Amino acid sequence: MRENVQILILGLTLGGVYALMASGLTLIFGVMGIVNLAHAAFMVLAAFMAFFAFKYLGLDPILSIPFVMPAMFLVGVVVYRLLFSRALADPHKRGVMVLVTFALALIVEGVLGFLFSNIYRSTRPSYASDAILVGPFYLPEAQFYATVLSIGILGGLWAFLQYTRTGYAIRATMHNRTAAEVVGVNVDRVSMIVFGIGMALAGASGSMLSFLFSFYPSKHWEWVAILLALVVLGGMGSLLGALIGALALSVIAAFVSAEFGPTWSPVTFYLALFVILLVRPQGLLGKKPEF
Amino acid sequence: MALIAIENVVAGYGIGPDILTGLSLDIEPDRSYCIIGPNGAGKSTLLKAICGLLPPRRGRVVFEGNDLAGLRTDQVLQRGICFVPQDRSLFPDMTVTENMRMGGYILKDRHAVEERIHEVFDMFPILRERRSLPAKTLSGGQQQMLLLGRALVLRPRVIMLDEPSLGLAPIVSKQIFDSMNALKRAGITIIVVEQNARIGLKFADWGCVLDLGKLEFEGPSETVLNDPRIEELYLGRQGARTGTSG
Repeated sequence: MRENVQILILGLTLGGVYALMASGLTLIFGVMGIVNLAHAAFMVLAAFMAFFAFKYLGLDPILSIPFVMPAMFLVGVVVYRLLFSRALADPHKRGVMVLVTFALALIVEGVLGFLFSNIYRSTRPSYASDAILVGPFYLPEAQFYATVLSIGILGGLWAFLQYTRTGYAIRATMHNRTAAEVVGVNVDRVSMIVFGIGMALAGASGSMLSFLFSFYPSKHWEWVAILLALVVLGGMGSLLGALIGALALSVIAAFVSAEFGPTWSPVTFYLALFVILLVRPQGLLGKKPEF
Repeated sequence: MALIAIENVVAGYGIGPDILTGLSLDIEPDRSYCIIGPNGAGKSTLLKAICGLLPPRRGRVVFEGNDLAGLRTDQVLQRGICFVPQDRSLFPDMTVTENMRMGGYILKDRHAVEERIHEVFDMFPILRERRSLPAKTLSGGQQQMLLLGRALVLRPRVIMLDEPSLGLAPIVSKQIFDSMNALKRAGITIIVVEQNARIGLKFADWGCVLDLGKLEFEGPSETVLNDPRIEELYLGRQGARTGTSG
């Protein structure tokens, strides 16, 4: 029993970070109808930012988040303007845009690999390998901070979507793009902001990834596959779904890892992906695809 | 001067063929219009070209003397032209009130929006009753009322409706046209695209018949309704045509 609770704790503390990683992906899909295969590549880019800020400036990777997020937001805005803005207006082109994100992932990976080579890296702040004891259970400190922070950022995102005018416009565009356009939402601008926010979220999760896991430029393929499983389980385009999917799958993966060994933990996500697509392709909270 | 002058407009989708093939039409401020024509004549396309959803390839649309070229939908909306598309484009998971608020999205003054929502609720009491329910739980007729109400929040000069009676029972569609009559009396210029020519022309003062992307002929509704050419367009050739309404 005690062992199971411990595994549950480990699963949940990773789940929060997974949820943050997946939130940007699902938000971009919800508004633009594009699966951004470069999402994890941008996470790795942000991990490099946090890594070098730690190495050369001594900046803690958690404290670097307020700098990495706006930087990644700007990257998102520029990428959107260059690649997506015009193509989104044409529904025929929208379907092809997933290939553009694939190319983008290759480009980011290639540039990072060229500049920094494909060696394992990770930031090692003091708390990276410590644990807090709570009664008989132990909480890995790094995972705990990362998950609390992730939930905090997700809460902020939720409040932004719920209570601001721009948030209203984003939700409206997610619900029905044409209707949003008809009531006067500038959907191009909304898409640009959302792509920026998605990248900023990738930035925050990338900073945390830098001390939770070791990373290298081509690591993002593994990540994006896991993220897709989470997002598909929750329902493409649903934020709450991404949160539920992330928590559920990371807990299941923790149990699989404890029972059969860590090698099997990634398999959980791929297996889950197959099962979801067979049983409930729109995911737990997703709407049926319109595009 | 015409309220809206449509001059030689050519428009189509993506890389597809021209749907409107040089259409010219003047919309006068003190009339309501019904646009009819067989499938694929370009009725919906015309409305989309006016409101900025589909920028014309050639020609221009002039509203109150100003060219609308290059304006986005929200900018056309600012000027007072409101479009209600055919696909019941509500926000299904938002409540009735939230949908109405989205109608006033481009207005900065939130208090004014709330006030106007109350006015619209006075016009459609059933919407007030259902105000906290998600829009998707409303019946087809109520959804159409909500679309109309949402457009009214802006107090537009012109409302363009694409097949408001589509899929509605005759008695419900009569209610919708009754509400539209009230708007007409309130001085709003209404342009309605209607598959059912008889209902549409009974409502409107002026009928415009489109075929193959051009204005075939126009005139007072009575005259258009009794014109023998209508019969030819609808009965003589409709069987040979397929495709959705353009």
